[in-house]
Amino acid sequence: FAGAGGGNDIQWCFSQVKGAVDDDVAEADIISTVEFNHSGELLATGDKGGRVVIFQQEQENKTQSHSRGEYNVYSTFQSHEPEFDYLKSLEIEEKINKIRWLPQKNAAQFLLSTNDKTIKLWKISERDKRPEGYNLKEEDGRYRDPTTVTTLRVPVFRPMDLMVEASPRRIFANAHTYHINSISINSDYETYLSADDLRINLWHLEITDRSFNIVDIKPANMEELTEVITAAEFHPNSCSTFVYSSSKGTIRLCDMRASALCDRHSKLFEEPEDPSNRSFFSEIISSISDVKFSHSGRYMMTRDYLSVKIWDLNMENRPVETYQVHEYLRSKLCSLYENDCIFDKFECCWNGSDRQVELSSLIVMTGSYNNFFRMFDRNSKRDVTLEASRENNKPRTVLKPRKVCASGKRKKDEISVDSLDFNKKILHTAWHPKENIIAVATTNNLYIFQDKMN
Amino acid sequence: MLGKGGKRKFDEHEDGLEGKVVSPTDGPSKVSYTLQRQTIFNISLMKLYNHRPLTEPSLQKTVLINNMLRRIQEELKQEGSLRPMFVAASQPADPLSDNFREAQPAFSHLAPPPLLPADLVSTMPLESCLTPASLLEDDTFCTSPAVQHDGPTKPPPPALAAVKDSFSSALDEIEELCPAPTSAEAAAADAAAGDSKAQPGESDIHKAEGLPESRTAEPKLMDPLPGNFEITASTGFLTDLTLDDILFADIDTSMYDFDPCTSATGAASKMAPVSADELLKTLAPYSSQPVTPNQPFKMDLTELDHIMEVLVGS
Repeated sequence: FAGAGGGNDIQWCFSQVKGAVDDDVAEADIISTVEFNHSGELLATGDKGGRVVIFQQEQENKTQSHSRGEYNVYSTFQSHEPEFDYLKSLEIEEKINKIRWLPQKNAAQFLLSTNDKTIKLWKISERDKRPEGYNLKEEDGRYRDPTTVTTLRVPVFRPMDLMVEASPRRIFANAHTYHINSISINSDYETYLSADDLRINLWHLEITDRSFNIVDIKPANMEELTEVITAAEFHPNSCSTFVYSSSKGTIRLCDMRASALCDRHSKLFEEPEDPSNRSFFSEIISSISDVKFSHSGRYMMTRDYLSVKIWDLNMENRPVETYQVHEYLRSKLCSLYENDCIFDKFECCWNGSDRQVELSSLIVMTGSYNNFFRMFDRNSKRDVTLEASRENNKPRTVLKPRKVCASGKRKKDEISVDSLDFNKKILHTAWHPKENIIAVATTNNLYIFQDKMN
Repeated sequence: MLGKGGKRKFDEHEDGLEGKVVSPTDGPSKVSYTLQRQTIFNISLMKLYNHRPLTEPSLQKTVLINNMLRRIQEELKQEGSLRPMFVAASQPADPLSDNFREAQPAFSHLAPPPLLPADLVSTMPLESCLTPASLLEDDTFCTSPAVQHDGPTKPPPPALAAVKDSFSSALDEIEELCPAPTSAEAAAADAAAGDSKAQPGESDIHKAEGLPESRTAEPKLMDPLPGNFEITASTGFLTDLTLDDILFADIDTSMYDFDPCTSATGAASKMAPVSADELLKTLAPYSSQPVTPNQPFKMDLTELDHIMEVLVGS
């Protein structure tokens, strides 16, 4: 991915950081998912404690034209609680695995949030007025003595301090034996899919007591199980098409019109293994941790342990591009296997949908270790490594690119592979749908970076 | 040895476990490949059986680790390992086991025989199983007579026994790199250790393959860990550790000088990248020590202690 070439590279500046400052991370505060809504005005995070925190972007201040609105807490609610499976004597974690926003249809906002077993539809609504002047009740709610009522009046709505309420409108439960890893809302905005390790179910947003099983890869004999589903997503435009990825590095595209049970794929995307890179860990690092369609639906991106691949849906036998995220880790795979880091599930995301005009305008973002995250710009053919750290938190100062030294002499300002902190991993990132604003989650902090506006 | 507070500098010349990809066909580096494979095998077993989660373990992780173990077993099977107990026997009466009683295994770095499924091995001519005489001159691998074993009639022993065996077999392999005193002594050592090794390995491979004991209920594979009553026998290995093996008089305390697996709990993840390398290094010193017939047991013990440390520590 050679440098040089024109194009306006985005210059990222620190904007905000949310979350506790101390190094001692409370387990419940670990961020497990980040998602902008369709307008970008709202930014939701889910954490290991089952809570959802929604930030809202301030309306742009006309006097401060050099920065876009800041994100402030809009609503916080407990989405999932820990449960206990008595049959297996195991806890069901309340950790929020995924949040997906529905497009806004009225004044209220809706999102789906899921833990390992249960998906919930939440309605987030604002209340900024309340009725006052009841005849039978005092202002504090106590009932008046009817004998003291001598006149009648009509209650009126008066403004009040903004209150944001979250209420669960649907609970989609008991449809998954295994752990849910993905939810994806269909382009018809009426149905959505949920995927666990072995099955994918199709739901209607209005119906909670049943779902349709559309993919089932569970073998008759569980001892023959060698592959699991790792992610799934609906096509952004075609409401009968979806893809799912596997732990063996394959992606299957399925068409629901072909049959009720989409066990036979329409397309199978798989890149043959590079024999020179073969190792004991080839299979594990080929396991796909995330799959995302581009806005147009013509391309999709997959993330495996060491790389990001961009696929053209018309070409199944190999990706159109492969970006190495942290190739220097290839020689450390055994250690990373031993400390379980090799099983970390990194997500990836595209630049904002409005900006994805064509293939060349696509930018990919994904996380790495040591609180580093990477951007790959198809337009400029450049990639950059940036760091999310409180040390860089001067607003409007451009982030300095970082470099990891794989071997040999370490140059000044480079970091050697052995100094990387494998506890500081960036698994979740999100890109504003319309503007160059990104949200990057470290273990328990949420960083917001913005494009430096001139 | 590694000072706990010291920052480890990247050593360009460092090879060992993290070195370049070693293929089984490299002659001189077959040893490091075997060690690599053995270490990964051990780590995989420890991952499956050591973990005591309160929540359900990740099915993806379990499947990937199982696949790793299966792949290594397949490789060992194809190579015709000197340690036939690690060959997965899919059913008790395996024709493969008969073969290993008689034949010398072929090494994969010779002209490799075509890949044969287990059932066809019995039809393979005996000559191709014999180590060519030319190799006996060059290679330092000891061609000890095959270990006796009667077939898996013993009840499935704890998983830790397999771990112990893996280490001791790895150590045995390293032993063979050194000039063995006599082949008779080596055979004696093998035979003595063989009895305890023979049974556990096979049955434990069964366990590693995903609990074939119970073929009925479905969540077995996704739950090869406590919480599933089927496998409490195997997870009771920690209690089995109080067995008399530990009560040996003479323990080599040199193992206590370092502690490579501190990162098992993930507490010091900056040290984590070195731990697997260190694990390999712990095996390396043994190759330089003079080997006596009694030594293997001593080394087994200290390895056992070491594993205990790791398990208790995590």
